[in-house]
Amino acid sequence: MAEDPVQGPPLAGCRVLEHSRSVAAAYAGRLLAAMGAGVVMLEPPGGTPLRRAPPLLEGTDQSALFAYLSAGKHSVVCDLLAPHGRCTLERELEGIDILIDDTPLGRRAAQHLDPQVLSQRFPALVHVSVLPFGASGPKADWDGEEVNLLHAAGEGFLLPNGLSYELFPERPPLKIYGHFSHYQGGSMAALAALAAWWAAPAAGGQYVDVSVQDAVLSVGAFALQRLGDGSLEHRATRSFRYGGVFEARGGFVELLTLEDRQWTALVELLGRPAWAQDDALRDPLERSRRGAEINRHIRAWMLRHDVDDIVRWAQERGVPAAKYRTPADVIRGEHERSRGLFAPLRLGGGLQAEVLVAPFQFRCTPLEGAMSVPAIGERPAEPVK
Amino acid sequence: MTPAQAPLCGVRIADFTIHAAGPFCTQLLAQLGAQCIKVESKTRPDAFRKPHAVYGRMTAATFDQVSVNKLSVRLNLKQPEAVALAKRLVSIADVAAESFRAGVMQRLGLGFQALRSVKPDIILLSLSSSGQSGPDSHFAGYAPLFGAWGGLGWMSGYSDGPPVEMRHVMDHSAGTHAAVATMAALHQRRRTGQAQHIDLAAREVASAMIGDALIQASLGQRPERTGNAHLSMAPHGVYPTREPDRWLTLAVRNDDEWRALAQELNQPSASSDPRFASADARLHHRAELDALLARWLATRSAEATAERLQRAGVCAHVSWNMQDVAGDAHLRARGATTEVSAPGIAPRLAVGAPARFSKMHDVGIRRLTPALGQDEDYVFGELLGLTSAQRADLERREVIS
Repeated sequence: MAEDPVQGPPLAGCRVLEHSRSVAAAYAGRLLAAMGAGVVMLEPPGGTPLRRAPPLLEGTDQSALFAYLSAGKHSVVCDLLAPHGRCTLERELEGIDILIDDTPLGRRAAQHLDPQVLSQRFPALVHVSVLPFGASGPKADWDGEEVNLLHAAGEGFLLPNGLSYELFPERPPLKIYGHFSHYQGGSMAALAALAAWWAAPAAGGQYVDVSVQDAVLSVGAFALQRLGDGSLEHRATRSFRYGGVFEARGGFVELLTLEDRQWTALVELLGRPAWAQDDALRDPLERSRRGAEINRHIRAWMLRHDVDDIVRWAQERGVPAAKYRTPADVIRGEHERSRGLFAPLRLGGGLQAEVLVAPFQFRCTPLEGAMSVPAIGERPAEPVK
Repeated sequence: MTPAQAPLCGVRIADFTIHAAGPFCTQLLAQLGAQCIKVESKTRPDAFRKPHAVYGRMTAATFDQVSVNKLSVRLNLKQPEAVALAKRLVSIADVAAESFRAGVMQRLGLGFQALRSVKPDIILLSLSSSGQSGPDSHFAGYAPLFGAWGGLGWMSGYSDGPPVEMRHVMDHSAGTHAAVATMAALHQRRRTGQAQHIDLAAREVASAMIGDALIQASLGQRPERTGNAHLSMAPHGVYPTREPDRWLTLAVRNDDEWRALAQELNQPSASSDPRFASADARLHHRAELDALLARWLATRSAEATAERLQRAGVCAHVSWNMQDVAGDAHLRARGATTEVSAPGIAPRLAVGAPARFSKMHDVGIRRLTPALGQDEDYVFGELLGLTSAQRADLERREVIS
């Protein structure tokens, strides 16, 4: 690891123990690891269930999800339910700054992860609990997977909007790909962990209670704000009045003009068609009222043009537009390559892939590139005295 | 010394962010106790101070979530003296945050080197759609475009439909990640005393949410768009109930949960049906299962069924709208939702503390949306030491404006 001994990555020296079964807790650890913290996953014999979570890489039994979430971490195996479990846990917690744990409340005592007990034994420890519905409140013992949590926080009900809803209005609401809610819970847990650790020199360690449901609600705050303004949002009506998803030749385009100048540029892009010359359309409120009509015209135009041409012409004119890019487009993307978004990833069995390093850069101390997926127990447990 | 009641007490942010993603980030840090000074101007007021036809809002917002806890000052950054004042503000801040298009801060004379020259250990957060470098760095964009560029929009959607447009949650996800990076930079500064420039591209946050699919794509494999289905769980998805547009979400992880579900829905024969006896078998017969679930649930109340299934150990939840969220005692008890009110603002719910801290009880909303420039006595007077006469002169010449 070529790192400036004085400077180092942002979280050089930060020691994290992660006991995770959920994407949320694992993502919290992953963000900290990407920024240079030393993150050790404490896994049960046989490994965390995330090692078997789909999607699997074709022709292997390796989880692409686990590979993403564990890149750059270490693995120690410890059976917390075994007679020596408590001793092993305490040995591993020596010198740890942040513990991330997603053990359900009812199982914590048996695994020696009760926060009050731990805080007495490790008063400087920042102990972050990450649970679907949090560790306190009347539903703290409720359980939920991604699909439940996205809907428990109100965002699921609002999807899809726009073109997907227009095409399939009778279908049930639609989940966002993958583990969107858990990524919210995980990033919120990482934030809370670093905030509590920031306060530690004065306040000592403390227990932090993070809920995935809360985190999704937090990013969905505008819908609650709209409720306060008197509007109950629904996926049928929250689409933009005009703009949105359009099918073009060879793909789909997202187009959104919020400012007058962007509308004017869009009219130019469309070749100043006669329908757009209507003076009434200079008024944004009138455009909103006639959104469906405008979209019909734009849809017809989009279908006649190639997706890459459209987005290039649009960006040249200052019209916010983007291609709906596939994962293959993103991994090959010139922009992403230029920014060093991806790094080599070594998986089990000698497999080499690429992985997104982190969704942020530190320009004075760039993050480390190459990462590995830790084999189960690749680091021996600290010996028990 | 009174112990701090919020973890970021003592951290000061000079906040130049606009739109949603950047302000959401600084709002989170402000809820965690940072003092956040929002720099605005009369000529370029924040979006919430204006009508928003696209969302059908015809007047300024009375309450704006992403401006809670913030102090407001006016500076017309087109004027060199305002830029000088902005630098003075940065010189007494720990963090400067901005979300302009790449290059704008530089043109204003507020680029990283300029800020570092007035505050050698400044942390500058630059949040933009496509980042500070790379061929697309000049691209303008909003949340739906971040989702499109980053691949999350493509991966979401019905398996036979178009990609799906991401909304504010995409902006705010970028904001949360920006807050994480800012905290890490604060720790780094504590350790090294050095400045840092954080470059966050919102489209890369969208990509971070398909991190598994990107690994597959890097190996030439084609990730699957699964819609509401799951690759290892069945039943899994969103099901109609007896009430119109009232959906129940279900995720059955193993055989025990499957048997519990069948029992709670009074379908004893289903739990012994060999088509559904194992996870693999249920996945194979997923379509039949989905049809059965729709039939079984057609006579049931969504909410009562969810509660009953939760008690039986099955992951279930109603697809809640915001009225349901607002009425939930659990979220209220946690302070995740909190009632706010002020003169001119009738009591309403807002999103409160992002986490609960055992030793810190002042995390959350302490004050609401500031009026434009309402904190200039404190910021320009007390913190920067400008006299009333100086401030009046600067206002007359529209430097403070």
